[in-house]
Amino acid sequence: MVVKFNLNGLDVEYVIKPGEYLLDTLRDHGVKSVKKGCDASACGVCTVLVDDKPVLSCSMLTAKVEGHRVTTVEAIQEEAAALSECFSKEGSDQCGYCNAAFALMVHALKKENPHPSDEEIRDYMVGNLCRCTGYNGQQKAIKAYLGGKK
Amino acid sequence: MKAKSFQRVSSLEEAYKLVKESPRNKIVAGGLWLKKGGAEVDTLIDLSLLGLDKIEDKKDYVEVGAMVTQREFEQSNLVPEMARAAVKAIMGPGFRNVATIGGSVYGKYGFSDVITGLLGYKVDLVFYPEAVVSLLDYIKKPGFYDGILTHVRIYKENLKAFFKKVGITALDYPILNVAVTKGKEYRVVVGSRPLVASRCEKCEAYLNEGGKDFAKAAEIAVEELKFGDSIATKGEYRKQLALTYVRRGLEEVSK
Repeated sequence: MVVKFNLNGLDVEYVIKPGEYLLDTLRDHGVKSVKKGCDASACGVCTVLVDDKPVLSCSMLTAKVEGHRVTTVEAIQEEAAALSECFSKEGSDQCGYCNAAFALMVHALKKENPHPSDEEIRDYMVGNLCRCTGYNGQQKAIKAYLGGKK
Repeated sequence: MKAKSFQRVSSLEEAYKLVKESPRNKIVAGGLWLKKGGAEVDTLIDLSLLGLDKIEDKKDYVEVGAMVTQREFEQSNLVPEMARAAVKAIMGPGFRNVATIGGSVYGKYGFSDVITGLLGYKVDLVFYPEAVVSLLDYIKKPGFYDGILTHVRIYKENLKAFFKKVGITALDYPILNVAVTKGKEYRVVVGSRPLVASRCEKCEAYLNEGGKDFAKAAEIAVEELKFGDSIATKGEYRKQLALTYVRRGLEEVSK
């Protein structure tokens, strides 16, 4: 079957299998920033945005994004670079496998809640695992990037 | 998941016809559990175009479309607070933006926080074609209703409510979940035992007939329920947790 959607500002048209998931479609078409981790809805590294909302692409049928907007980290590079600076300052960056998903989550959080509290940051990021660094550094980095609760 | 075709239907009639054509044609809500279950399907039936993604105030009840996502449900001020809290306890926003309320309820999953929370309220399920079944009856009856779940109706009641999910981490299935509400009468619900949630009817009868000893009420609740082992923990541990959290829930809603 054919599915049409907007990927990072460009209209795309892909031939897919009816039971195919968005993670596989994106990676098959060269979007390797979207990582395959658990492939079971549990780790968050496959996060993309659909109509600005974070979704686990391993669990989203590609056919269901027909007519929608899909955003990956390639579309938010300036913001990802600025967040990366904050991660570096806090020493909360190591292998980088989870970073693209973290950047997309922070981008979505900023739109939903520009000045979140510590608890609101934790609640938002709870589904995104990082096996290298623990989470305190990332929490501080995200807070520094977003400016904290006003 | 293996599927031969994906059909975005334009009416419930069309969807129902496809469901009746073959047991291998499946309604796809969020699609999460079809994948986890390794489903092999002929036709995936998508209800996205049918306007079932709204939460509406209907005077006596709040009507939640089956395709409303868990995230939309948790963020809606129309939905009672405890039901929202139960949903907010599930995984992260990336998961809850995919999972739907209809899929969560219809599946009767043993670990469901959604069902445990909702059983604390008077809730009806609306099926196409033309059936309204209480959530309690739906959960009690074995198997699945022969129809398409279109809406969940949560009746407006003035309640005090308590919800507790016990899990090792936020991303784990609950070891146990407990909901307690008190309005005109008490409702006590224990789920993830690891069986699907149940109302504790003997415990409720004790309380609604004037019983004031909450520790005794919790003992009645655990005696009437079955607790089983799973990879996460033993039934006996679940039983001890239930004793504690049912009592605490009753204390909380009786303040």
